[in-house]
Amino acid sequence: MNPALSLENVSVPGRLRALSLAVSPGRLVGLVGPNGSGKSTLLAAAAGLLPVAAPGVVRWGGEALERIPALERGRRAAWVPQEARFDFGFSVRSVVGQARYAHGDDAAGVEEALARFGLAAIAERPVDRLSGGERHRVLLARAWATGAALQLWDEPLAALDPRHALETLMLAREMTRAGRALVFSLHDLRVAHCLDEVVVLHEGRLRASGPPDVVLTPELLREVFGVTARVEPGLTLFL
Amino acid sequence: MSAVRRVPALALAVAALLGLAALSLAVGDARLSPSQLLDGLLRRDEFAATIVWSIRMPRLLVATLVGAALSASGLVMQAYFRNALASPGLLGVSAGGAAGAVVAIGCGLAAVSLLTVPLFAVAGALAATGAVILLARRGASTERLLLAGVALNALLGAVTSYVLSAHTITYERNAQILFWLIGGLEDRTWEHVWMAAPVLPAALLLLPLGRPMDLLSLGAEEAQSLGVDVRRLRCRLLALSTVLTALATAVAGTVGFVGLVVPHILRLLVGPEHRRLVPLSLVAGAAFVVGCDLLGRASGDLRLGIVTALIGGPYFLWLLRRDER
Repeated sequence: MNPALSLENVSVPGRLRALSLAVSPGRLVGLVGPNGSGKSTLLAAAAGLLPVAAPGVVRWGGEALERIPALERGRRAAWVPQEARFDFGFSVRSVVGQARYAHGDDAAGVEEALARFGLAAIAERPVDRLSGGERHRVLLARAWATGAALQLWDEPLAALDPRHALETLMLAREMTRAGRALVFSLHDLRVAHCLDEVVVLHEGRLRASGPPDVVLTPELLREVFGVTARVEPGLTLFL
Repeated sequence: MSAVRRVPALALAVAALLGLAALSLAVGDARLSPSQLLDGLLRRDEFAATIVWSIRMPRLLVATLVGAALSASGLVMQAYFRNALASPGLLGVSAGGAAGAVVAIGCGLAAVSLLTVPLFAVAGALAATGAVILLARRGASTERLLLAGVALNALLGAVTSYVLSAHTITYERNAQILFWLIGGLEDRTWEHVWMAAPVLPAALLLLPLGRPMDLLSLGAEEAQSLGVDVRRLRCRLLALSTVLTALATAVAGTVGFVGLVVPHILRLLVGPEHRRLVPLSLVAGAAFVVGCDLLGRASGDLRLGIVTALIGGPYFLWLLRRDER
């Protein structure tokens, strides 16, 4: 089976260096690394939002990204930015409904997305009046509503309170069980242990990838993050 | 829900435009009663027909086209720059169009062909748009946008002043140039109507772009990830908004604030969805300018550019103050 996402030798000048990576369908993958290590750049490049220097290639389901037309990209992958900025007062429902632009604005799954992300009660509120966490949930609900097989989320949990972070993780897991691939960046390494795979970035390079309990060793954490940590199965504790 | 709300807003705007248009045809030095107006429109009365068809109708049509063009152009720029304060006047695009027209007149090229002035206006507006994009970038803060506009307006003002003060300039050309600097609709003829007529196809091309404009107005990368061909959309939007502004400027000179005030009020009334805002901004913009022209004529022939500035200036200041809070 083709990987849902593959990066082959992908470089973005000054930010990513010759990075290769493959994510299978149904996998929940965490992207970790210090600030400035290239997590957001990797996600944007994977989403086709940044030009990739030759000879690097990004593929979705085995197909080179540059051969996928713009509208079809909207059906096949969803990207959630790190910053939830809204300059106009569209309603929550309307922004989530944008997920269906590439499907001819059929509104399929929009109501369910609103309910899933706890937005049903504020569906008519203008997005520019929401709190930071609520704005992020709007973006996540929109990504969910695209129904895209590849989901790329940039720090989806950072702005959420513990309950919504947990619910989002559970929804993420549900999505991958349904066969979608989800790659997201995160800083909380305790969360990393409940993922299928972690990818560690350091200074724009892939430092390590694999099952969290294998990858997240005290040595690696010291080298990459410069912190002392004790790692037990399923848990990372900073000392 | 939206279907229920959509019809009345657009219908109201159309009704307002038609009402103001009828008034605009009837009111003036020679006031026409409704029946005289009808006689004139149907050419049943020669005197009324001359007033309606030769004098007032071209002015009305130019006002309609100018209003629709400036208002829609502002709406597009606001979505493009993700900033509700972007507009052709503030960003210097109008000034670019005016500078182009002034250069054409100052060099004596206006007499060569009817198309010279509009073409120079389009070129000037395009150059100004290019400069704004370089200076302000997308998603720029209000400060950055306004500063870019201040700089451009000053620069283009210098070009205009230079042409005005050049020793080769004749009195007649100077008067013509003054016309561009304070926009107005005096003595507009059918030639000007045809000159501005490309506003209609441009408006038609804009209508289907409402939905992708929604996505673009919340961020280019997000729009692209949702399936919008952002580069193509941006090219089209910029080309259309620039051409619209330039055409308006070519036939009426610099008329400020229409592109700021009208879309802003419409957003307050019907929300930010561009599928509704695009057609509404065309019709409401036309009604606004026809109304301003009427107001100017009723207050001792104030020029259109002065009336829109008298309304738009305070509105803009109020907006800035409100945004501060």
